[in-house]
Amino acid sequence: MQVSVEALRFTRSGRLVLDIPSLRFAEGSTTAVFGPNGSGKTTLLRLIGGLERPASGMVRIGDVPVNGDPASRRQVAFAFQEAVFVRGSVRGNLDLALRLRDLSPAERAWRLTEAARECGIELLLDRPARQLSVGEAQRANLARALSLRAAVTLLDEPLTGIDRLTRLQLLDDLPRMLGTFAATTILVTHDREEAFRLADHLVVLVDGRVHAAGPKAEVYARPPDQATAELLGYTLLTKDGRTLGVPPGAWAIGGEGEPFALAVDRVVDMGNHLHVVGRIGRVRVDVRLRRGDAVPGRGEWVTVNATSHVPVGR
Amino acid sequence: MREALRLLLGGDAELYGVIARTLLISGTATLIAMLLGIPIGYALARGRFPGRTLLLGMVNTGMGMPPVVVGLVVWLLLTRSGPLGHWEMIYTARAMVIAQFVIATPLVVGFTVASIQALPALLPDLLTSLGAGRARMLWILSREARLGLLAAVMAGFGAIISEVGASMTVGGNLRGSTRVLTTAIVTETGRGNLPIALALGCLLLALAFAVNLLLTLVQQRRTG
Repeated sequence: MQVSVEALRFTRSGRLVLDIPSLRFAEGSTTAVFGPNGSGKTTLLRLIGGLERPASGMVRIGDVPVNGDPASRRQVAFAFQEAVFVRGSVRGNLDLALRLRDLSPAERAWRLTEAARECGIELLLDRPARQLSVGEAQRANLARALSLRAAVTLLDEPLTGIDRLTRLQLLDDLPRMLGTFAATTILVTHDREEAFRLADHLVVLVDGRVHAAGPKAEVYARPPDQATAELLGYTLLTKDGRTLGVPPGAWAIGGEGEPFALAVDRVVDMGNHLHVVGRIGRVRVDVRLRRGDAVPGRGEWVTVNATSHVPVGR
Repeated sequence: MREALRLLLGGDAELYGVIARTLLISGTATLIAMLLGIPIGYALARGRFPGRTLLLGMVNTGMGMPPVVVGLVVWLLLTRSGPLGHWEMIYTARAMVIAQFVIATPLVVGFTVASIQALPALLPDLLTSLGAGRARMLWILSREARLGLLAAVMAGFGAIISEVGASMTVGGNLRGSTRVLTTAIVTETGRGNLPIALALGCLLLALAFAVNLLLTLVQQRRTG
């Protein structure tokens, strides 16, 4: 179902922490709410989930306002950043969630089995939930939320705090899992790679305000301001009064592109290639040398080209 | 001691009456304290409302309230010329239930607050987001906190079954109607029947132990 946010404001101890005039999450889309820590991402998710009351404005799921009564919460499945369980087995925890949705025993049994299989926790079902490793707990947490097959699934930092291998695996598995279960998904992350790999739409949130929203390719191609461009990983440089955003790795010595003068600080041997680390003005830039490039010395100036760049608004 | 054993084994009706009365009065008071104290403790642990901190302070003070002071206040309320004198409850078992209930409730509330607050902070949010209503939320949280809640009940019961000041003040230690184990011990000690007083003391301890053992068995049942 479509989720829409209208004139939403949220205050904490008198301070305005979220101010969103209008925002729409299209039915069936997966949107990453992306921003630095403390930007209000989790608060937005909690407002959509009906766990917080806005100071003013409202959230609608479909046409129905989220007002915090149990019926409206059942439209939503929420996976918290910290996987939290009641005492007992993983199976007991998954089943409790389905029981709270008043599903029949047969329905609960097959949903539980299916979610466990999709999330790869079949062998963990009879283990005590509170003794799982962080990665296992996160899978169980996701399985519990996805088994609800809610109209809207909310995931708060689904891959934070888990070890690198499990994280890479979940980065691969999660889009498939979401495809199987979730109609409309909103996930919160401070990690750019997660946002781009898991979502098709992006909402950039900084200090409680939406700086950019739309399909990820559009947001990436036209960052509306410097804060957004920096969050998206662009290196910001000013040339002839314009601000340019250069994506990571889009630097070369020689060839085509927008030229800049780089002051070389050092050359780093990465094993199979060399990196030149230096500064353009006060901005630190890292250029990969291609085979055959002359190796510059420390303190020298070299001309480097930005092989691609986007215009950045103020 | 032989005298006490003889009374106990010989089926002394008066002694059995005292034991039954003790359990009935303290049991009833504990039950009411539970029914009222656990929801209050839950509200204090979870709620955010003005005066909450003040109330918590009062509860914590109440946990250490001298029973004899409670007895005095209840006596002043229930005595014939007191504001609730027309209830005609002074020197009855019901008056003792009231006094013991007042002593036990802060203990139950205090322990409940602590045990609910010791649960994972996100657990209530999780249950809310899953669509649990108020009743199911209370039920599931209580099940999760049952170690602490049973400790709350044990603390309340233990405090009032061993309490003498309030029972004496509002009950009057009337033989056959308001005499309980603790006041019987005081009486026998006063009369110089030290062996019987000591035997009654052992009996009281055994009784408290038996009840707590029962609750402990429930508490420590496989917790997963």
